[in-house]
Amino acid sequence: MTSPDSVPTAESVPPPREGVRELAVLLAAALLAALVLYALFHGKVTRFEDLGLGAETSAVFAQLDGDPIHCHDMTDVAACLAGFERRGAGAAALWLGNSQLHGVNQYALGQETASARLAARLRPVGIDLLTLSQPNANLVEHLVLYAYVRDRLPLRLVLLPAVFDDVRDTGVRATVASALADEATRGFLAGSDVGRAVLATNRSTADPDLAALDQTVQERSEAFLNAWMERHVELWDLRPEVRGTLGVWTRSLRNSLFGITPHSKRRRIEGSYAKNLEAAEALLADAHTRGVRVIFYVAPLRGDVELPYVESEYARFKQDVRGLAERHGAAYLDLDQVVPAELFGMTAGRTLGAALEVDFMHFQAGGHAILADQLAGALDGVGGGERS
Amino acid sequence: MIFNSLTFLVFLVVVLALYWVLPRRPRIWLLFLSGLVFYGFWRVEYLAILLASAITDYLAALAIAGSANVARRRLYLGASLVVNFGLLFYFKYLLFFAENATGLLRFLGFDVAEPHFSVVLPLGISFYTFQTVSYTVDVYRGFIRPERSFPLYAAYVVYFPQLVAGPILRARELLHQLAERPPARLEDFAIGLRRILSGLFLKVVIADNLAPLVDAGFAQPIATLSALDVWTLAFLFGFQIYFDFSGYSHIALGCARVMGIHLPENFQFPYLATSPREFWRRWHISLSSWIRDYLYLPLMGAQVRDESVGGLATAADAPSERRRTAALFATWGIMGLWHGANWTFALWGIYHACLVYGHRVLAPRFSRLPAAASGLLGWAVTLPLAMLSWIPFRAETLEVALAMWAKLLVPTQYLALGMRENTYLVTALVLLGVIGAWCVREWGIPSLRRTRVLWPVVETAGWAVVIALVFVFLRPINQFIYFQF
Repeated sequence: MTSPDSVPTAESVPPPREGVRELAVLLAAALLAALVLYALFHGKVTRFEDLGLGAETSAVFAQLDGDPIHCHDMTDVAACLAGFERRGAGAAALWLGNSQLHGVNQYALGQETASARLAARLRPVGIDLLTLSQPNANLVEHLVLYAYVRDRLPLRLVLLPAVFDDVRDTGVRATVASALADEATRGFLAGSDVGRAVLATNRSTADPDLAALDQTVQERSEAFLNAWMERHVELWDLRPEVRGTLGVWTRSLRNSLFGITPHSKRRRIEGSYAKNLEAAEALLADAHTRGVRVIFYVAPLRGDVELPYVESEYARFKQDVRGLAERHGAAYLDLDQVVPAELFGMTAGRTLGAALEVDFMHFQAGGHAILADQLAGALDGVGGGERS
Repeated sequence: MIFNSLTFLVFLVVVLALYWVLPRRPRIWLLFLSGLVFYGFWRVEYLAILLASAITDYLAALAIAGSANVARRRLYLGASLVVNFGLLFYFKYLLFFAENATGLLRFLGFDVAEPHFSVVLPLGISFYTFQTVSYTVDVYRGFIRPERSFPLYAAYVVYFPQLVAGPILRARELLHQLAERPPARLEDFAIGLRRILSGLFLKVVIADNLAPLVDAGFAQPIATLSALDVWTLAFLFGFQIYFDFSGYSHIALGCARVMGIHLPENFQFPYLATSPREFWRRWHISLSSWIRDYLYLPLMGAQVRDESVGGLATAADAPSERRRTAALFATWGIMGLWHGANWTFALWGIYHACLVYGHRVLAPRFSRLPAAASGLLGWAVTLPLAMLSWIPFRAETLEVALAMWAKLLVPTQYLALGMRENTYLVTALVLLGVIGAWCVREWGIPSLRRTRVLWPVVETAGWAVVIALVFVFLRPINQFIYFQF
């Protein structure tokens, strides 16, 4: 063999005492890191999904006879489906949406969301309404959840809101992407370009934190070690909280630095926009083929302040939604001005140190009642048996 | 096994503890077996291929060294190359060539069915194939003697820190370090730990958080992307792959260092290179030097001399310019395809050959510029050109890559933005961060080191941030990008 002299060194070796000092620094740094994390996050539990709701808006998920009829996503959809089975209804309706459906401003006990109200009005005609809503849900996510539910429910009706804010994104959150583990869901999605793109860019692993280990031997050891750490090391269990908080801080810092407020214009992102409409089209086309009625509606927005959109882009959005609905035999509703401005709330400031800001999306129970009435009215017109 | 996981951390602690207590013979077996365990945690079934490659070269090297007959030596070398590259071809390129052959035949009017088979690529096959081949070639060239101890030789092939994504090591760089354990030194341990932490930081905190932006950008329909978007994606993916791969290399070097083993550097701030040639002295150094020694120089017809330090041999004779240029393009085409069986990678390689060639031709014209101006100009040209190469590297197909590049030539495509605002913001921040990190390393740290109180405080606080963020973000959510090669 050649001489060790020819070995290249990564760094010149420091004198021995320097090694002790460097290890001491690492040890002190590790202790400092643990102390800071513990001091800042010990016992803290934040519902990050509800942060966008604002200070005076509550998340309300309706139940019926102890079973949920309004769920979030794949984390609790099984409970909604089980409730449907227990009630034994012959037909189902599915309402997909964003936090507008579960956010109630100035909520008081006994008040109802639009989904609870509409469910009560559909029940006498034998239709059981289930709702799935997630904050900022986009149409691609709706397509994934629809794909999961369509063979599990005798669907007669789908309510699909179109929200301009939400079509700026096409990401599928992990709690929705876990539907991709289901073979029927994958099969349905494989039938469209947008579905294939979803399958190509999202992993179907049950635990998104172990996504890179899917179907490897290491997946099992990692799951075991993770579970052990979660049980025995409190700091480990705090990690999602820290990640979420860092995300919120980063966003606030960005908003402060660049002066981004709820009034800032959100322009259309062409690629995301196209993909979202493609997802809606895949959903509408399938529903039409299966004889499922769809109401594709432009969601209510606060009307007393200038919209945070470019007017021409928003107008085209509504046209495109209408065009899609008409092409696939769905009913189109423009509900963006049906809820009076005074029923909308305020949201927590999203810049550093900001006070409350205008909320464009969430309204009081009165607004929910109006939304439910509008949709119920449209059902009369859509045809036939759902007259309430 | 993936580095950014709890399993690996536990594995590393166990292996380290045994490494430092076991005597020589069992320690060598430990290194060999730990490599197999490390690999087997990914896919047990592919251990056989790894071992087949290793055994082939072990036997071929012994046979070559044991024979004085030139023809026989060539035969043994040929057998080794056929087995190694045969396995690589089967697992990595067979489907690619079958599809292309089918396409060509159909184009010529033949009615041929689509090839219907799939082969799962064994993890790290490109890396360990190059490593074992270099061993046999070095024995053939007479640069090293063959290793007779199979466990020691096999430990070199399957040495876990660099098994699946390099650095690609020569036998002369590693074998003697595995044979004789270096004395335990706290300094090595401290440096190793710091490198592991730095690598994890680059991977789990930076690269993994850039990944969703890159994925979203490349998933957009081409028609919706502007020229500014293409530039942004080129830079953003350039940063992602750099942090991902250099992070891996940091961890690999750190793991070896805590065993007292020194591996050569694989990255040296490549995005601060002032020429394409310099870029390749700073990026994936072990691959570029391997390619130079085992492909470029032989293709050029140059005789390779064993004056290697850090894996760079030198050519003894100067071949003709034409042959040199042909070798350059052939080498880069092959280097591109080494990364993956797709024409996008070949395009990436040829593009880099054009850059190197262009620099070779144009650089003399700027030789009168002052050094500082020349450096600045070189960097300002090299960085965007190097970043553009990542478009074909990341694009799914050749059509997509060319369509994205084509956007850059249309002036009106510079008037729109088609992605989320965060994408531009993050790209700009990371670019500033890379330049800032280099400045801190070159000027900030040396001047801070002279202070008695401030330096330990800043250093401790800095490492506390690194450790906290690694702890918080340590999740195997993404493979290392180079695992797929």
